[in-house]
Amino acid sequence: MGAFDTTATAAAQVAPPAQRGLWRRFAHNRLALASLFIGAGVIAAALAGPLLYAVDPNYQNYTAINAWPSAAYPLGTDSLGRDTLARILAGLRVSLIVVAYVELLNVGVGATLGLIAGYRGGMVDNAISRVADMLFAFPGLLFAILVAAVFGPAVTERFGGIGRLLLVAGSLALVSWPLMARYVRAQTLALKQQDYVLAARSIGVGGQRIMWGHILPGVAGLIVVSATLDVAAVVVNEAVLSLLGLGIQPPDASIGQMIRQAIDYLESNWLQVFLPSAALTLLVLVFSFIGDGLRDAVDPLSEV
Amino acid sequence: MGGVIGRRLLGLVFVIFSITFLTFIVGYLAPGDPILVLMGPRRDPQLYASLQHQYGLDLPWYHQYFNYLGGLLHGDLGMSYRFQGRSVNDILANGIGVSIALGAMALAASLLIGVPTGIIAALRQNSWLDRSSMIFMLALFSIPTFVMIPILRAANYFVLFRNGLPALPPAGWGTPAHWVMPVAVLAAVTMGYLARLTRSSMLDTLHQDYIRTARAKGLRRRQVVGVHALRNALLPIVTVIGPSLAFLVTGSFVVESLFAIPGIGYLGVQAIAQRDYPVIQGTTVLLAVTVVLMNLIADILYSVLDPRIQAEG
Amino acid sequence: MQKLAIVFASMLLLGALLTGCAAAVTPAAPGAAPAQQPAADGAQTLIWSVEGVNELPGLDPANPQNAQSIQAISLIFGGLVKLDGLLNVSPDGAESWTISEDGKSYTFIIREGLQFADGTPVTAQTFADSINRALQPETASYGASFQLGHIVGANDVASGDATTASGIVVVDERTLQITLDDNVPYFLAQLTYPVSFAAPMHAIAADPTGWTETAFGTGPFRVKEWQHNQKLILEPNPKYWAGAPSLSEIELPFFQDSETAYQLYRTGGLDIMGSQQNPIPSARVPEVQDSPDFHSAASFAVRFVGFNNKKAPFDNADVRRAFALAVDKETLANAVLNGAVAATDRILPPGFTGSQLPVTGLTYDPAAARQALADAGYDSSQPLPQVTFTYGVEGDNERVATFLQQQWKENLGVDVVLEPLELATFSKSLDTTYLTPDEGVQFYLSIWGADYPDPQNFVSQQLRSDSPNNNGHWENAQFDELAKQADTYLGSADERLQLYNQAEQIAVDEVGWLPLYVPQFSVLIRPEVSGYSLTGQGLIFPDWTQVTGRAQ
Repeated sequence: MGAFDTTATAAAQVAPPAQRGLWRRFAHNRLALASLFIGAGVIAAALAGPLLYAVDPNYQNYTAINAWPSAAYPLGTDSLGRDTLARILAGLRVSLIVVAYVELLNVGVGATLGLIAGYRGGMVDNAISRVADMLFAFPGLLFAILVAAVFGPAVTERFGGIGRLLLVAGSLALVSWPLMARYVRAQTLALKQQDYVLAARSIGVGGQRIMWGHILPGVAGLIVVSATLDVAAVVVNEAVLSLLGLGIQPPDASIGQMIRQAIDYLESNWLQVFLPSAALTLLVLVFSFIGDGLRDAVDPLSEV
Repeated sequence: MGGVIGRRLLGLVFVIFSITFLTFIVGYLAPGDPILVLMGPRRDPQLYASLQHQYGLDLPWYHQYFNYLGGLLHGDLGMSYRFQGRSVNDILANGIGVSIALGAMALAASLLIGVPTGIIAALRQNSWLDRSSMIFMLALFSIPTFVMIPILRAANYFVLFRNGLPALPPAGWGTPAHWVMPVAVLAAVTMGYLARLTRSSMLDTLHQDYIRTARAKGLRRRQVVGVHALRNALLPIVTVIGPSLAFLVTGSFVVESLFAIPGIGYLGVQAIAQRDYPVIQGTTVLLAVTVVLMNLIADILYSVLDPRIQAEG
Repeated sequence: MQKLAIVFASMLLLGALLTGCAAAVTPAAPGAAPAQQPAADGAQTLIWSVEGVNELPGLDPANPQNAQSIQAISLIFGGLVKLDGLLNVSPDGAESWTISEDGKSYTFIIREGLQFADGTPVTAQTFADSINRALQPETASYGASFQLGHIVGANDVASGDATTASGIVVVDERTLQITLDDNVPYFLAQLTYPVSFAAPMHAIAADPTGWTETAFGTGPFRVKEWQHNQKLILEPNPKYWAGAPSLSEIELPFFQDSETAYQLYRTGGLDIMGSQQNPIPSARVPEVQDSPDFHSAASFAVRFVGFNNKKAPFDNADVRRAFALAVDKETLANAVLNGAVAATDRILPPGFTGSQLPVTGLTYDPAAARQALADAGYDSSQPLPQVTFTYGVEGDNERVATFLQQQWKENLGVDVVLEPLELATFSKSLDTTYLTPDEGVQFYLSIWGADYPDPQNFVSQQLRSDSPNNNGHWENAQFDELAKQADTYLGSADERLQLYNQAEQIAVDEVGWLPLYVPQFSVLIRPEVSGYSLTGQGLIFPDWTQVTGRAQ
């Protein structure tokens, strides 16, 4: 859902010291560690999938529509007779690309602006915070829909499928970044008053260096955690956009779109809804546990 | 405190101003002429000109915008392009109450389930109960509403209706029976979030020095948790109630559409599809005001509950 | 008559009680219903869903903006003539009419004692005023100048140069004369479209923006309550000329999604679901098609692929023919769309006036398709460049487009890029294609449905080179000649249909359209409901005094 996340208040109150022993602490959380491996596996499967399972995800076999799993189709077929296993692999790739784009924008724009606003304060802070406020108050998904609807056709015409993908990602990031900026700003404000920052300043370290060298490492954990927790929202929102014809272009599929296309046949072939949904849930769980693990690792106080 | 509220209200004016401007500009630049949409498949230049004039769309853009702002100052959101002779005020007036009622019920439901779950999970950190309840909540959160709705309906039909048991109406709005499914679906979205927030905040509180001190002084666990930890742990929950409600109200358009609920979330999406700019602007302005007011109330509540913290602008 | 109906209805109710009333129980209703029940014992109601919208854009008959509005408007308002259950033009507000020798002058005799639902008399003047009002630019009707444009002086009214059309003359209180600028054999059929319906001028004058909230006309029902974004509730018009309907109430709830309506139907919340534009969801057809509630007829609509004939490569008839021959429509209809549609190779839908005359279509033939493409000068050494296929995101369109993409790839080796557009943008892109073809789309998925049952509505309006609905600018001199001749033909109806048939054959051969399929108009209707007629143009209730519904 992306509107909030669990770590903001907690992390904002705590100023993490240097991040030594991060991996040791992370690895201590077995669930997070397992999630990391599963997540890496999923990403590897999505990237290498076409090599391992060389079936065209868009090929339609009209004699095997909505088929149940068989030797020919390990996970069955969808309502156009396309191989579900091949489509899940391809769909995961599309969804992960969208997620990567969105989080890159989200972190690049949101975190940077939040950091600058928090550290500089004054007019800069005011300007950035007001713009974030505005976008924050905007009914998020509605705005993403508006942007995708208005600029979609022109962008697709000029830049093709990739352009469309970027636009979809951009409009989704538009919804996420103000929140990221808000968290990072709050954390930066807190860190600014910490002894180690004050000490650095007193010995004459420059503003830029303090910001990037001393404060950024302190908010890095928060950034990663917020970004990972946003993943589920992005995948679902992309599907909602495609519900209105504003998402990824067919015949390519994202996980969200596969679910949407199968849902009409829920009662006659539930498996085709279940499989992509399970993939999505797995993705969400994995990213959340990695996020949790990171949070705990970054913030040693929460360890028991 | 008065100063804070004053500053926030000023911020509200800014937010509304920029939101109207942004929607206006996006709409102005948009491909998809509202008049052509209104005219459907027929083409008639005379009719086009007369409609364009009727809606003031033959004016330059800044003139159009100032006309709109002028109306807004008088609380007039303009006339819909799509619905003959109906004002945006009238169209939205019916829907906003429904959307808020739906959102509030969903929030109440997710608080009632999410908060206790989070507390129990925190008290039994890393236990089997903690892990499984958190996984369940996350799974719930990751299932898109457009999947949850057909599943619930299928269950309602096959398990209840077909067996002659009292079943829920699968669509519509009016009686409490109509509320159950949409509220459940919408609550599922925030429930997981609230549970996780509660758990995390509860854990933070339990590790605070004063709690450790209280335990060290020999106070019983139940007393410590019940009296000291709970109160502090719930503070962050209070701050997110406003934004959560706003999120539920604005994010409910899939639910509203699939359950045929006459709220404004879906009206907004419909208006985008039909390029009904007055309705788009009206919806965004109304929702933005809701969000800003909710945030303000949450901040005030927070500073009342926790005097150490000053609401920050 | 009315008494009898009530007695009959009470017997039905009694019957239901005695047989345990299992069938009539609705799980949702019991708690809420009793308070609102009308006093009449044994009253029957009908709950009839309106799909595809979450609100009606309006109820003004002069400006029927979509099929859903027309569904409601036709229950509330009436015109000079209407369509009967067999889609023949039959008397409504006019009890009879005569047509002059040259086919240009129509004289209508208004029914004696005709009244609006509020008791206000309806005269020839009322009809004249209503038609003029529909044409006036302030009404901003998009159907009127188009449907009534052949009336002498109509264009002067539409442009604001006059307030009344000179071709509409009130001879006396009960005689209305309408003069046309040409012989228009389909004029009476056009009068069954709502724009010419009698509008309550006095109510409109009293409340120009709010009158539709309690709209009434000369139709069988009047608005009892319009719960915006939810439903329209109608009650019988006590002054209806054919006698007040036997039902005590009709409820028209709105559903954006037909699946939602289906859900409500199967849990007993609806009496009728499904309409021409939004039939039963195709995924649901297999599970209901054997049920006694299921009814289906070929719709008077055709889904087709249109081409931009002003832009390469589809300015070449051989390329168009290759694309047409390469589509296996039977598989599309039966496998991909579950048999919820019927494949077609022609312009006129089956059962439509004129469709009794055969047309030879371009049936699926991959070898011939490749040959046609080679004739156009494209082969493996010089392949057809990539083309873009545009469609609006709605209903089954995405699956149809994905299917077509693979057909063209497999059978022609052509790479087709799909361009899904959200509906408003899609209609804009068709406008662009019409107005500035060079900037328009290459080819697109579209649908055309009947406004009135005359071949002119399909053949001429879609494909005559001077028609504003010919988005792709397909042009053929011989076709134009034949269609024009048919449009104003004075001779026998059969000869006229022959002319349309010849024109249609040319349009098929030269691929003015690539017809894909005729949607099935499939509905679910409870067995208790009777008195309807299922036609390609929708559900028609010829005599409302005989209609039965749900016993309360």
